[in-house]
Amino acid sequence: MKRIEVKLSLPVVAPLLDVIRELADGMGRKLAAPQEFGDLDPEFRDAWHGDLLAGQKADVGQLLALFDDEFFTEGVVAFDEDNAEPIVRACAAVRLRLREVFLRGLGDDTLEGGDVELGDLSEPVRKAFMCYLFLATVQELIIQHLDSSIIDS
Amino acid sequence: MTPAGPKTSPGSETLARTELELSASWRVVVLNDPVNLMSYVMMVFKKTFGFNESTARKHMLQVHEQGRSVVWTGLREKAEAYVFTLQQWHLTAVLESDETH
Repeated sequence: MKRIEVKLSLPVVAPLLDVIRELADGMGRKLAAPQEFGDLDPEFRDAWHGDLLAGQKADVGQLLALFDDEFFTEGVVAFDEDNAEPIVRACAAVRLRLREVFLRGLGDDTLEGGDVELGDLSEPVRKAFMCYLFLATVQELIIQHLDSSIIDS
Repeated sequence: MTPAGPKTSPGSETLARTELELSASWRVVVLNDPVNLMSYVMMVFKKTFGFNESTARKHMLQVHEQGRSVVWTGLREKAEAYVFTLQQWHLTAVLESDETH
């Protein structure tokens, strides 16, 4: 099984996990990406919405499980063919929620370009933006090394 | 898990409409968002539709530059399944009747 291990800086990453945990609480109740359900039958729409929410909650749970005892002792996290897909999806969900909850003020062009002066940001927004960048890095790592595992699974 | 197929209530008008919906052509449209990475969107397209690299890139760039891309057209039931899958990946995806454009 293809597996990559990544050594992270504990002092940098550990505080970002608080932001993810804070958002994770609400992610079983609200979809990260706003969706239109058009003319679907209400019962069918509710089932559809519920399935999306359940999947989102499970994915975010997998992301948080990545930061286990090994991470807090060694600073190491591991990605493999089993966890790559839910984690890369969870990163997308949390990044969308970060934008919604903390980063709206930055504007979408700034967010897309990533050209942000960290010193100008308030502490909660700075932390959220760091988390946003960190999760993008995780996604890039997984896509770079494990995308064939995800696509073929 | 993909939700069950569309439900119908009794009545000839509803049934006729449902039959029309099922047999007509429907579009799966992906809308732009400022958050998801280009590489991520391409990966989702490759996985969901079996696109090769250049087709995935073409649709990703359409989404990015034009705000939307029609990624699949066909029968409603399958279009719904594709929209659901794309939404599972947190892309903003909608179902449109082919007659709306």
